[in-house]
This record gives sequence, structure tokens and C-alpha cells, in this order.
Amino acid sequence: MFKKILVANRGEIAVRIIRACRELGIKSVAVYSEADKEALHTQLADESICIGASASSDSYLNMERILSATIAVKADAIHPGFGFLSENAKFVEMCEKCNIKFIGPSSSIIHKMGNKAEARKTMMKASIPVVPGTKEPVVTAEEGKKLADKIGYPVIIKASLGGGGKGMRIVEREEEFTSQFETAQMESIGSFGDNTMYIEKYIVNPRHIEFQILADQYGNVVHLGERDCSIQRRHQKLIEESPSVAMDENLRKKMGDMAILAAKTVGYENAGTIEFLLDKDKNFYFMEMNTRIQVEHPITEFVTGIDLVKTQIEIAEGKELPFTQNDITITGHAIECRINAEDPACHFMPCPGTIESLHIPGGNGVRVDTAVYQNYKIPPFYDSMLLKVVVHDKDRISAIQKMISVLGEVIIGGTKTNLNFQYEIFNHEKFKKGDINTHFIQDYFEQ
Amino acid sequence: MVFRDMFKKTTYIRVDIGKEEAEKTNQINRGQNVEKEPSIPEGMWTKCNVCGEMIYTEDLIENAYVCPKCSGYFRINAKTRISMITDDNSFEEWDQGIHLENPLDFPGYEEKVLHLKRHTNLDEAVITGKALIQGEPVVIGVMDTRFLMASMGEVVGEKITRAVERATNEKIPVILFTCSGGARMQEGIVSLMQMAKISAALKRHSEEGLLYISVLTDPTTGGVTASFAMLGDVILAEPGALVGFAGPRVIEQTIGQRLPEGFQRSEFLLKHGLIDNIVKREDMVATLGRLIRFHQSKEKMELENETKTEYNDLEYRKVINQKGVWEKVQMARSIERPTSLDFINTIFDYFYELHGDRVFRDDGAIVGGVASYRGIPVTVIGQQKGKSTKENMKRNFGMPYPEGYRKALRLMKQAEKFKRPIICFVDTPGAFCGIEAEERGQGEAIAKNLFEMAGITVPILSIVIGEGGSGGALALAVADEVWMLENATYSILSPEGFASILWKDSKRSEEAAELMKITAEDLKDLGIIETIISENGVANMNSLDLIAEEISEQFEKFLQVYTKKSGEELVKDRYNRFRRY
Repeated sequence: MFKKILVANRGEIAVRIIRACRELGIKSVAVYSEADKEALHTQLADESICIGASASSDSYLNMERILSATIAVKADAIHPGFGFLSENAKFVEMCEKCNIKFIGPSSSIIHKMGNKAEARKTMMKASIPVVPGTKEPVVTAEEGKKLADKIGYPVIIKASLGGGGKGMRIVEREEEFTSQFETAQMESIGSFGDNTMYIEKYIVNPRHIEFQILADQYGNVVHLGERDCSIQRRHQKLIEESPSVAMDENLRKKMGDMAILAAKTVGYENAGTIEFLLDKDKNFYFMEMNTRIQVEHPITEFVTGIDLVKTQIEIAEGKELPFTQNDITITGHAIECRINAEDPACHFMPCPGTIESLHIPGGNGVRVDTAVYQNYKIPPFYDSMLLKVVVHDKDRISAIQKMISVLGEVIIGGTKTNLNFQYEIFNHEKFKKGDINTHFIQDYFEQ
Repeated sequence: MVFRDMFKKTTYIRVDIGKEEAEKTNQINRGQNVEKEPSIPEGMWTKCNVCGEMIYTEDLIENAYVCPKCSGYFRINAKTRISMITDDNSFEEWDQGIHLENPLDFPGYEEKVLHLKRHTNLDEAVITGKALIQGEPVVIGVMDTRFLMASMGEVVGEKITRAVERATNEKIPVILFTCSGGARMQEGIVSLMQMAKISAALKRHSEEGLLYISVLTDPTTGGVTASFAMLGDVILAEPGALVGFAGPRVIEQTIGQRLPEGFQRSEFLLKHGLIDNIVKREDMVATLGRLIRFHQSKEKMELENETKTEYNDLEYRKVINQKGVWEKVQMARSIERPTSLDFINTIFDYFYELHGDRVFRDDGAIVGGVASYRGIPVTVIGQQKGKSTKENMKRNFGMPYPEGYRKALRLMKQAEKFKRPIICFVDTPGAFCGIEAEERGQGEAIAKNLFEMAGITVPILSIVIGEGGSGGALALAVADEVWMLENATYSILSPEGFASILWKDSKRSEEAAELMKITAEDLKDLGIIETIISENGVANMNSLDLIAEEISEQFEKFLQVYTKKSGEELVKDRYNRFRRY
């Protein structure tokens, strides 16, 4: 039983965690930097402790100060949120040494999953599909073709030293391989003076599908369905939804089983996310595992009715999962949309400033996670996310209609935001049809 | 502060478990409470004395006890140092358990030493023995400040002396890592005698032509500085180490002044010419390894049965004649011309610069050090000009101070000890004219070089690569042979000075230049120089490789001839060379 939890984060996720603590009757301690003296999390927590100057490296990333603060306030656990120290194996190792419960997996698991190459190897060993490709470089077209035939077309040929598309070719059909390989190789020799090439399965317009899992210390693992996070701009997620239109019961079971297998393979504990690429033919490939709570966790909470943060805390306390896979049902459709203080007209540059006017909508099936308030000054030191607007309705199209209605009500004055950019995405025909993939923004919103 | 104290906070406790169960849990917990309570284990964090930050101890160990945040150096104990420096499992400890005499019958001294032995798991304030560094056998001694500030008592002195003696017998180098508060008060005058004892042992070691490297670490003071710390053939120091004879507190009390920032630190010593170089902890093994291998190198010139070498310069004459004397003066002074370091870095496959005259200051106008020419160890010295204003401030436009000549002489003496040929690159408008230069004896320094170079028992070659300005040039040119680049000049003084003295008109410098006979061709005819090196047009960074190659080829021939000669022959021939003028 935890009596007091230190929240080693800031912004809306810190607020989210403080609320979960309060609901569980656990005292919460906020840590804050000098810039966050007036932040919501600082004021909302039962206790607050300043851990240093505004720069993250002096405060939210300063392991020694956070540990000292934890000891000083006699907290027995740390919730790391996401970002900052949430996936820092060394920090978790320090917590373990200090007898402080880190609400998340052990340092060894974080270390193992943090190394992308090792994670890939571990998953391959467990027969979890990864993007097929050569591990060793290839020099001749003959060798390359043999491998490509085995991998299956289309494949992508990449120069070992490649960059900027040079020495890169997508091969759709077997008979094109040799000529394409030779062209790519010539380019590579010309540009980089190197003839070694890699061959990888080319995933055409994939979706980013991730599975939420929960695992307790007794080996029970369940998945809470998927989230489709294909709407991204330069690998930054903008919109997430659950369930995915690309999913049916069969595929969900297949991918969910793989996610559970992945978690079991590494002996996972606490909440985690397995990310996959899903192609149009419903083939899926393991990408990576996130060993923390995700930004987009509220959509899973909406469709499953399970409070992920509270469950995280209970798992860390040593409780058994109170449900099995059969108890998990997906109800309706949830969508999250991230509103950031950034200027879409100016390469999405962050725009710190003061929130001069603010209207946050509400209503049935509407949830807004935020840490901003009227007259709040957005500090320039941290990320620019202001709100997560989340809606839940009986099906996808109702959820989209609700989101459009809700976004129309959002008012944020005093700073530039991506609100209108998001509004346009929800009104886009292709989006409404669910015809989305990771290239969506690039294809329809950027020249 | 809109909401301060407006929120209702958590004031209740959890109700999700039954009372009985809760009590049970509490009872169980109570038993383990002491151990389970969150706390920071001792030693998990270490405070950096430099930046004051707390450092995760494991990070510190991984980073060789250098603060990952501010790069400040932590002191390290002798055993850690030995394991960092020596090859795995190669260290064999010597002379443990030497009996402590307590010569003054100092009360409580023996008990204190006994307590320290138990507490530190050390035999005394120094560990000595034999080990391999990158495969090279060495005798190594490392002091440990945890033991009475590594003060030098009889046992410390005896252990180091025995180690040096064994190194002399076994003909291997000595490496000593120093850190010490100085003499050991509890042993009085006996402690003082250790300074002389160790120094005497090092003298014998040196007379056998053997290498001694001292590495100064924080803090090295008192009697240790005033003996073996400062006696290395090469003296290295860790960054930021405090090194001095009198401690800073004593000095402040004595003179009643506050000492400047950085006083007595390694960087201060380097600037003041007292140490050869500062070496980062991460580079220490590689630096020591290279220096030791360099000094152990048995590579000798393959001598061909050629008794006479032909230096041909006739073919260059045509080209040389095309340029006027004044044009050559300008070319010799050109900022585009390759400098000594350009030639050194092009000709030699390894160069390690050694700094300082060990007296006053490290002169930027003269660079010198050890180098390897096709595997053969040589000593290289050169006058160094800068290529920018900033660099020229440091290099003083290639005009050496007396300490520059004293550094050169120190390195020549070192070359003589290790039987290495010497190659000098001459490129100076002249020795610096200034108040401080006179105060420190510019004339004496030049004179001493002429005097000592006459007796050096290893081959000396001097090459005038740019300006050979007067006595300042000659102080690096009392050589077995003197060569010149085709557009270099070598003269009694500048044409401007010449015109000014003879005709009271420095503007007639062009006319003077014509008369003075200062070009390579003139000097060859006068028998002042032996060889002219082609510049392939104009010496600049583009032609550097070609010129360096030519020097390199000729240098090989030079070595073939001169390394055959004995020390006496060299000195006699050099005497005759200058006797004839």
C-alpha cells in the first residue's frame, strides 16, 4: 500500500496522476522547476517541492534531486509519467537501490527494450514478426535478389551509408530487381563511395497500430485493444483513435496475442505499449515497445472503462489484475486530438506565451486533459502540448462529429495553436472514411 | 498563483481494505519496516568538489573518476590507479612489510600507522612494483593520499629507492605517480634524507641512459616536489592538479597576499615551463605507452656501405638564379611559408611535443619534442612562427626569449642522454629584443647554446627553412651540417638593420640585401652551408609535401653518414667545421 507518491513529471500528465492518487486516497507530491512555480500540478498536489532551475536537465531530468526529494518527503513510490525519466533504466536502477518503488517495469526490462536492436532480436526469437530484412550488407545483385525473393515484394533497397533518398529504390516486382539494385548501387558508389546495400521489406502506406497491455507481477497479462496512431506529422502523433477501422475481431485477437506474447517474453510488469506497423494486406510487424504510460492512454480508458493510471499504481503495489482477457470489452469509439501551442504557418514552431482567454468544452463523452488555465504563462522550456481533447461515442462517425463540435467550442487566446489544422483534418473526406496511413499528413496537408 | 490553497487536498486514508486485513498488513510491514524504508544507500552518490554537483558513483567509476558534469578530477587511490594504468594482471608488488622504525620515538605514531594500514588496506603511502604498460615492462610507484597524506617517511623513501635500484639493474624505465603532502613530520630529519636518497638513486638510473617519467597528480607538494617529482626525463601532470613546493596557504600567510586563481595548478606549471605536458586521465595509458615504446626503440639505421654521399644542387641553380635577392627576402618572410610544425608533422610519423625550460616559462617561439623518423627516434626542435595575428601573439612572430633557447638546450641534452640525433628547423627574424629578454639573459642563453652544442655527442642537423636571423638562428645551428631551403636567407642581421648601421638609412635595405650574401646559393659558395633544398617553385602549403619529401630523403642520407660516427668524432668534426671560418 502506498501512502504517498511522488509525481516526477509536469503538465497534464502530472495532473492526471495526482488525480488518480487522490481518487485512491494516496497523498501526492509534485516536483516542480522554478519555471513551474505556478503550474497547475504544483498547486494541485498535496505537497510540492522545488527541484531546480527551469531547464529540464536541472530539474525534471535531475535524478539525484528527484530521489532526494522523494526521501525528504518520505514518499514510497515515484510515478514517472511519460517523457523525462520514464524510460531511463539508470534512474529506475537508482530507485531500486533506494528502495523506492518505481511505478513501471524494472530497470532490466527498460534497458532491454530501450535497445532497439536487442528488442528486435528478442522478438524474433519469440517468433513475433518484425519487418523482414537483411542484417548483413549485400554487395551483388544476385545475392540481393535471392534475399528479396525470400522477403517478398515490394522491397526497399537502401545504401548502407545512404541518406536523402540517394541509393534508395523501391522494387515492386521480381523482374525489376536486378536493374534497380544496380542503379541504386551505382548511385551509392557515386555519392558515398560505398557499394554495400541493405534490403528490407517495403511496407506500403502502413498504419501505426499499438496495443495497450497491462501485466502484474504474477505473470497475468491482458491487452486492452489497439490504438490507431497513423495521423502523424514527422513522427509526432496528432490524432489517435480506438478501435482502428483496419481491425476486425480476428486480427485484434492475433495482434493482441502477439502483444501479450511480447510482454510475457520479457517478463513485463505494469502498463506498456507494443507498437506495430500494419500493411494494407493486414500483415503486421513489431516496431518497438514503450515501457510507460502513453500520451494517448485516455482513448483506451474510454473504450474499456479501465483507469490505466490507477491500475498502474495498483500493479506497483503488488496487487493482482482484477480482470482477465475475457472481461475486456471494447465499447464504442474514442478519439484523441492533441492541441499544441505551435504555429502551423511557421513550420509548427512552438509558441510560448500567456493564455489570455480560454474556453474548455465539456459535455457527454467529452474529456479534456490539460494543465493550462486562464492567464497561465506557457514556459518555453518544455513541450508545447496544451490540451488533449478526447471524445467517446457509439461509433467512429459519431465520435468524429462530436470532435468537430467540441473543437469548434475550444477557445485559446494569446498564443498560436494547431487547433484549426486539427479541425481541417477531422473535416477531411479521407479521414472521415478512415482511409488513413502514416503518410496522411504528408500526402494531403504538406506540399 | 491563481489557485493556491483553493483546491481540497487528500486528507483521508484509503478505505479499500478491511480493517482486520489492514492491521495484518501493518504487522507484517512493521517487521520489515526498517529495511524497507526508502533511503539512499551510502556511497550511491559522490559529491564533486569542483562543481559541487552530486554524481552517481557508478557513472564516476565508469568515467575514470572524472566528473561527468564538469570534467573535474577526483583523487584516486593507488590500487585503482595501478589497475587503470597497467595491463591486466601484470602488476607484481614489491617490498611490502618494511619495518617502521619511528626514528624520533614520536608518541602514538606507530599506532596511527597500524590503524591506517588496517583502515586503508595499504602497506604504506606508496605501492611499488613491476608491471606492463601496453606490453612494455616498467617499474611503477603510485602514492596514496589516504595514508598520512602520502607523506614521505623512511618506508616510502626506501620502497621508492629499492624500486629505482631494481629498475637500474633490470634496465627498465621508472614511472612514478606522485601525490603527497611532502615530508613526514613524525620522522623529522630522517624524512628529509629520503629526498636525497631517492634523488641519488634516480641519478644512477639516469646515468645508465634509462627513462624516468614522473606523473604529477593532485596534490604534489613539499619534499616530493623538491625531489623525485621534478626529476623526470619527461614530467607529465593531470589537469588541474595542485603542484608546488610550499602549499598555497603557507604562501598566503607568508606574503600576506591572496594568490591568483589557478596558481600552482598544472596549467600554471605548464605555462611556467616546469612540466612537459598535461595529460587527461583517459589519454594517460596511451601517452605513457607511446613514450615508453619510443624510448625502448632499438631501431637503428640500416647502414649501407656508402662512405660518401652526393648532394646535388646544380640542377636547382638555374631556377634559383631567376629570383632577385630582395624577392627572396620577402619569400623567406612570407606568411604563406610552411612553418617548423608543418615540416615536423609532414616528415615524421610520430611527434610528441615537450614543453618548458624547467626554469621560468614555456616559450611559444620554439617548439620541440621527440619524433620518430621511419621508426628511428630523434629529437626535433624548431623556431615557430604563427600564421595569424592570434597565433603570432603566442609564437611571438618566431622570435625566441631566452627560455626558448634554454628549452632547446634541455631537449638537446635529453637527446644526448638517449643517443638520439637532433634536427633543428631554423626560422626566426632573430632572438627577441625586449626588456624581459635582457633581464633573463638573452645573450647568455644564446652563448650557452653555442658552447654546449659544440660538445653534444649525437649528430645535429640544422635546416634554415625561412629566415635565419643572426645569433637567434645560430643558437640552433651549431650543427654537423646546415642546409637551406632555396629561398631561405641566413644573415648577420636583417638588411634593414644592416643598412641602418652602415648607412644610417634603413630604406636602403634592398641595396644592402644585394651586398650581404644571404641567399642559399651565396652561402653555399661561402661554405657556410652544405646543401640547398629545392622549393619546387615557391615554398607554401601546396609544395610542402614535395619539399618535405626531399628533406626526408636527404635526412636519411645524413643519418647514414653521421650515425656511424662516434661521439668524439662528431664533436671533433663539428669543432673543425666552425674552426675553419
